[in-house]
Amino acid sequence: MKILKQLDKFKIATLPAIFIVFLLFVLMLGFYFINALPAIEKYGINLFITNIWQAAEDPAKEVYGLAAPIWGSIYTATIAILIALPLSICYAIFVNDYAPKKLKHPLIIISDIMAGLPTIIYGIWGAFILVPLLRDYIMKFLYNHLSFIPLFNYPPLSGYCYLSAGILLGIMVTPFAAAIIREAYAMIPSVYKEGLVALGATRYETTKVLIKYIKPAIISGLILAFGRALGETVAVSLVIGNSFNLTYKLFAPGYTISSLIANQFGNAILYKYMTSVLYSAGLVLFVIGLVVNILGLYYLKRWREYVSH
Amino acid sequence: MSHTKHKTIRMIKDKIFLIVVGTLTLLAILPLFHIILSIFEKGLPIVMERGLTFITGTLSEGGIGPAIVGTLMLTIMATLIGLPLAFLAGAYAYEFPDSFIGRGTKMLLQIMLEFPTILVGTFIMGLLVIPMGSFSALAGALSLALILTPYVAVYTEEAMAEVPRIYKEGGYALGCTRAQVIFKVITKMAKKGILTGILIGMAKVAGETAPLLFTAGGLYEVYPTDPLQPIGAIPLLIYTLVQSPSPQDHQMAWGAALIMLLIFLSIFVPIRYALKDDIKL
Repeated sequence: MKILKQLDKFKIATLPAIFIVFLLFVLMLGFYFINALPAIEKYGINLFITNIWQAAEDPAKEVYGLAAPIWGSIYTATIAILIALPLSICYAIFVNDYAPKKLKHPLIIISDIMAGLPTIIYGIWGAFILVPLLRDYIMKFLYNHLSFIPLFNYPPLSGYCYLSAGILLGIMVTPFAAAIIREAYAMIPSVYKEGLVALGATRYETTKVLIKYIKPAIISGLILAFGRALGETVAVSLVIGNSFNLTYKLFAPGYTISSLIANQFGNAILYKYMTSVLYSAGLVLFVIGLVVNILGLYYLKRWREYVSH
Repeated sequence: MSHTKHKTIRMIKDKIFLIVVGTLTLLAILPLFHIILSIFEKGLPIVMERGLTFITGTLSEGGIGPAIVGTLMLTIMATLIGLPLAFLAGAYAYEFPDSFIGRGTKMLLQIMLEFPTILVGTFIMGLLVIPMGSFSALAGALSLALILTPYVAVYTEEAMAEVPRIYKEGGYALGCTRAQVIFKVITKMAKKGILTGILIGMAKVAGETAPLLFTAGGLYEVYPTDPLQPIGAIPLLIYTLVQSPSPQDHQMAWGAALIMLLIFLSIFVPIRYALKDDIKL
């Protein structure tokens, strides 16, 4: 009787939905794990720390190592964050403190449109417009004049490279990070600002202190943006050049985990182990993405609780 | 003497700071204008040249008709599959924000929101496409539904949480059961927020490419009719065309991108403007 009372109609209606959502998640994790197992068993740890890609009809000759795509994912996402950091902080400061009233809403809506814009639109623009621009005006200049710096000494032939992917990702995740930072900046109690102004601080000095106040929110925004950059697929695969290249050189073509899956999954069925290798790559992305997102969400939640108290 | 000098330095720093902030803000939003201009510049000529054929014709006739219908079908199917799940999960997370399952649900939904979409595609491929033996609209819609669900659920939860508690108490005071209070009273009051969530989720999945790569298959020569057969979509078509070496295909891709952009902006901008007053400044 008591159990029946607890299970009211609301729970009867919603619990199956909750069950399905959880089930799907567990199913997905299990699915990636089971499908990754054959490759992990065959190649062991070498699958993740060597850079090699030998597809062969004969399964005995197949050798794979995912070091280059794993490195590529982290490298491009890091470049993206380095670009997004100054842009999103300045955007948040400008919208909250300096933009004329008439400009505020348009600025916010523009940034929201950018955050929601289909990624394939960034992809086509990146592949046909951004890459040639970067190659002709930035990469060639850096290569010709500063190639004694190892970062720049890879000849920028096609322009499809780590740097292009990082910059495109930076453009894509900036509005996302900016939205979190802007919201946090708006939540700073106004007494702090008033106090600083009363002390005679200039606008620069005021902002410098206020930015320190929202540091946790900035960090969590950047962590979440990093996670988003890791998972981005089509835009990246159109500009990164798609080749196995384990290097820090900015103008070298590369791979990310997601662009590797997008490119190779279609013909992976022809080989015995490639599908499993790609599922292992997916598992790596799954786990990194999970850790990064939980970390970012946790920090953000803690900051929001701290501010609202 | 040194006092005024110090003050001048502070003022100069202040000016430099303002200029940097303004410039970087401009730099952050500049790409959007460049993207829109480029797409109009490259896409408009081909759409104008082909006229109505571009919207209704098949790929060999020089149009993207089947892709447009495919995107519509996929979006609607994904919404039909994902909406009930999302609404119920959102309602649960709203009603039990402090229970273990409630907190877990909310966390899970937020994680799913940020989840790499390509992984959803390969998951559905292994789950549905390989056992069924062929790409299908159903598989495409299912992977889109997995992406739409967290959007709608999170918006539902947030919209319900905005409703003042007093309405809930009033409902209970009148002798309503929990199901009646939430599904009849709270849902109606949170209608606007939930609807926004649905529309934003739909706009999002209509533009998704990665989850369709290994599920939908692509179909551009005839209009799709059977949900168990392969289907095309505008983003998928653009992705295929961009990778082709032929300049004619690139032109088509720009035209398709223009149509995609127009569809997205016509859904997204009105919703965003309707929500203008909710923005905290």
